[in-house]
Amino acid sequence: MTVIGYGLAVIGAGIGVGLSAFGGATATARQPEMQPKIFTTFILGAAFSEALALIGLVLALISA
Amino acid sequence: MESGPLAGLSHHIEELLADLGGMDIIDFGWGSITTYSVWLLIVLVLVFALIWVVKSRVSLIPKKGPTAAIEATVDYIRKEVGFGVLGHKEAVDKHMPFLFTVFFFVLGANLVGLIPGAKAATGTFSVTLTLALVCFVYFNYYGIKHSGLWIYIKNLCPQGIYPGLNIMVWLIELLSLFLRIVTLSVRLFANMYAGHIVIGAFAILTTLFIFPEINASSLGPLSLGTAPASIAWMLLLVAMYGMELLVVFIQAYVFTLLTAVYIQMATSEH
Repeated sequence: MTVIGYGLAVIGAGIGVGLSAFGGATATARQPEMQPKIFTTFILGAAFSEALALIGLVLALISA
Repeated sequence: MESGPLAGLSHHIEELLADLGGMDIIDFGWGSITTYSVWLLIVLVLVFALIWVVKSRVSLIPKKGPTAAIEATVDYIRKEVGFGVLGHKEAVDKHMPFLFTVFFFVLGANLVGLIPGAKAATGTFSVTLTLALVCFVYFNYYGIKHSGLWIYIKNLCPQGIYPGLNIMVWLIELLSLFLRIVTLSVRLFANMYAGHIVIGAFAILTTLFIFPEINASSLGPLSLGTAPASIAWMLLLVAMYGMELLVVFIQAYVFTLLTAVYIQMATSEH
């Protein structure tokens, strides 16, 4: 059950990371010279949405 | 019990997990020196020696080889993390030594873990939790030093929120402040641990599919048996290894970047 719960938690984080990658790719295509700044922003966005999945992982581990 | 090459898989996976758990070398009772501690010390010595040598070789005329590689890395981190996140020059000069220490330690530990037989110190939760705690204490110390204890605690909640509601926002912000320890440490640990499990599982599958063919006495030239499957697993293993090489750098970078962001958040005026 905890694994199913973790899977559910990861859906949102997956959407979040995908959206930030989408935004990063689009922005880089529009303005390639801004690539380093955009990469930093992408990493930050991905890290913050990934954090939700990590909290889910911790909850799954401690309730297993 | 199923037969065929996959019969021993779960047993081997259990062995792999036990191996990743580490092994006690000296047990004190209250704690023990594990294989991970030894690799941690090796990484510390290696990184220290490497940086020491590179430092003595730095000159105005660009060098080649490892010196140039480390100089380029330092330059990149200084530009992207330092000036990109921290902003002005005093903050960069003040916090960069700490951030570089964290970066090179995490990178070194991650890279050593990719050597077959070696263990990544960052693949244990204790090490990453300690690292995250050090970063937590560091940015809180500088936040409190910057604006004073009371104002720092008060400023966890953004200004301009209605009274009553701001207490709730403050509580949520306090929770998210402490969750930073968890997310920083678990992100690094989970990435390294999961990466090692995946690489290990593919290596196990490669051997499981090739051993019956080596042991079989009657192997005709036309019957390769499960050997092609083994080669396919091997190719996947190499691909995953390349992927892990990428993850190693990205995770070290992410750890440093997030620490810099937290320092910036703690020391900026609200």
